[in-house]
Amino acid sequence: MTSGPYNYSYIFKYIIIGDMGVGKSCLLHQFTDKKFMADCPHTIGVEFGTRIIEVAGQKIKLQIWDTAGQERFRAVTRSYYRGAAGALMVYDITRRSTYNHLSSWLTDTRNLTNPSTVIFLIGNKSDLDGQRDVTYEEAKQFADENGLMFVEASAKTGQNVEEAFLETAKKIYQSIQDGRLDLNAAESGVQHKPASPGRPLAAPPAARDNCTC
Amino acid sequence: MPSSDSEDFESADEGQTHTERKERKKRLSSSNYSENALESDSGPKETSTLTGKVEKPKAKTTDGWDDFDIDNPEESNTEVKSKEPSPKEEKQPKAKEETQPKAKENVKSQDTGWDDFDDWGQDDVISKNEMEQTSKPVNQSSNQQQTDRDIKEVTDRLASASTKGNSWGWGWGVDSLLSTATAGITTATAGFTTLTSQVSQGISTVLESGIGAPDPEELARKNNKEADTSAPKVEDTKPDEVKAKEDQPNAGANDGAFPFGSLLSGVTKFVETTGTKVIAGGLDTLETIGKKTMEVLQDGDPGLAKKRAMLGLDSGDKPVLSQILREAKAKAEEEDKVREEKREAKEVHYENLFDDFEGLVHLEALEMLSRQVTMRIEERMRGLDPEKRQDIKETLQQVAELCEMPEEDDEDDEPPSEGMSKPDAFHEKLQTATQDLGLKLVFQPLVKQYTDVLDWLDSSDPDIGEKAVYKRAVSSLAQCTALAVLVYHKAAEMLLVKPRRSTADEADALTQMTVVLTKHISELATLFTEKLNSISSENKEQINNHITNIFLEAGNSSTYIQNAFQLALPILQIGAV
Repeated sequence: MTSGPYNYSYIFKYIIIGDMGVGKSCLLHQFTDKKFMADCPHTIGVEFGTRIIEVAGQKIKLQIWDTAGQERFRAVTRSYYRGAAGALMVYDITRRSTYNHLSSWLTDTRNLTNPSTVIFLIGNKSDLDGQRDVTYEEAKQFADENGLMFVEASAKTGQNVEEAFLETAKKIYQSIQDGRLDLNAAESGVQHKPASPGRPLAAPPAARDNCTC
Repeated sequence: MPSSDSEDFESADEGQTHTERKERKKRLSSSNYSENALESDSGPKETSTLTGKVEKPKAKTTDGWDDFDIDNPEESNTEVKSKEPSPKEEKQPKAKEETQPKAKENVKSQDTGWDDFDDWGQDDVISKNEMEQTSKPVNQSSNQQQTDRDIKEVTDRLASASTKGNSWGWGWGVDSLLSTATAGITTATAGFTTLTSQVSQGISTVLESGIGAPDPEELARKNNKEADTSAPKVEDTKPDEVKAKEDQPNAGANDGAFPFGSLLSGVTKFVETTGTKVIAGGLDTLETIGKKTMEVLQDGDPGLAKKRAMLGLDSGDKPVLSQILREAKAKAEEEDKVREEKREAKEVHYENLFDDFEGLVHLEALEMLSRQVTMRIEERMRGLDPEKRQDIKETLQQVAELCEMPEEDDEDDEPPSEGMSKPDAFHEKLQTATQDLGLKLVFQPLVKQYTDVLDWLDSSDPDIGEKAVYKRAVSSLAQCTALAVLVYHKAAEMLLVKPRRSTADEADALTQMTVVLTKHISELATLFTEKLNSISSENKEQINNHITNIFLEAGNSSTYIQNAFQLALPILQIGAV
């Protein structure tokens, strides 16, 4: 097949949300560049990151939308939830307020994504255990009550960062396999290989690879 | 579920079936059994599948025998198809012997899901007997020599008629495919079809994975030779064989004197055990069965005159499958060639690069914002009385007019300021254009990219190949465009959170910025084409090709930039209402 230089079968759209300063952009950088950025500037609107991972032998491109946490951008970032296959909801274990706002973030996520969107709760800054303000147990309970996946992670040390992104992808992939996620729906957040919009090219017939039928 | 490969094979198979089914209808119009409902549906779909398959792009070089690139699967099918009549042959003598119930029992005991299997057996017998009644006398009375000559003549005719140039082998293959397929299909029922497809799959897999298909050229030559020499002998053997069958109808393995009988019973077994035995039988089996099928078809129809007439092969004006296939193949090849040239010309894929530089995702995000804001504007308008709504509409229109791109006038292309580098001049232009926007837009990436391009052009080896320049050109255009789209996206986001809006200024600023950016794109394109022209290469045509493509991609870049600008329009508009 002439699929160009693309050597992956799917694109998953992720969105990272949570209060300002919880370390969303740092988590992204740790995941994409395996580096910790000490002074990450405030995100304006949304920034992007990509990485190709492998799940069950399938190469998947993660297209990660790292949203601004500042309240003033809330209306703007709400426009970006649509079509996310995975949502990483981040709070800071050393700041209780960021944990308290989770229900508001969760409401947005539920309202603005589709039911099959995988929501993963991340308690960031687990390296700062001495300043802990939110216990693992209560966060775990919150996650369980709301059917979220959950880990505590550290963008600084990299602990559990990989896991959070990969586990989300596995869950999404499982949804595809189980037929819970309709790839043809525009909002699924999953694409078969990239489309090239904006240019009237003779579109090749849709690739049928990995079709579960 | 079948693998996609075998699915392909099957679809191609069924496509043929459809074409021939029409013939079959014609043929059976006077007979006493009706068309099977299951078979009569979904014809067009299958045909389209066939077409799709044939036209599937294949990047292969032409070597004179490339016919077989596409024909190969068909030939495999020929062999697969040729199995169909064979079990029928096996059944027939058994039926005569009244041993069919036993055969049924055997089948049932092996696989109860195969009840359909019995039906086709019976149908076969009927049709075969019918055929037998009409054909036997002719066969017996006909002179052996005559038959021999006929066959030879027909084979030659087939060969010369079926392809213009390169292979009578291919012609033979297709015609025999058609004939055998017809024979199979004439007697087929739904059950048989299922069975066939299972067998086809099995064989396709075997052929693909194990044995390795023989050179079609070789195969064809061999076939033809043997058809010439062995036809009379086979005619001789035929009654013996039937007799032998009658003598020992249940024999698992016949002795060497009746090779076809043994092969045929092998086939039946193979069918009963869903294909595992083929590996043992090997390709020789398939080949021989194919030949045998041809002979059986010619039995009572010397020269295949009747069957050819039935298929409409003799009438030149009617489209025939082989013709259609050939045309489709030629068309596909032509398309391949064009595509190949295109790919050669632009091995560097602009869209992919644009995506890699995050242009696509910024455009997508901008589009989402744009749509969201448009909805908000509409929502606001809904709640208003008609008069106010009209006011707002006018305001929106005014903003849109402010954002119309000015007519191109190259006169105001003031020469770069003295003592300022090109990138700095570019930066200043962008700053000037957007100073009324009221936002702190970041142009450094664009400026840096420009600097890099200029450095590269200056420092690069004068002997650098045109391909390298071209690659760099497309990549630079894609990167610059992606960075420009990013600026629009950021501007849109910041405008939406801007406390105090001044729509007219903003609209003007963004329009000017768009002018600067699109001019910058042309500048980049010009720089690279100049570089290409400076290369001393004997391949002038290739260079011209590259230059054309660079301007094409530059046009593409400008389109992206103007699209981004248009997407930002509602964000400007909402500030005014």
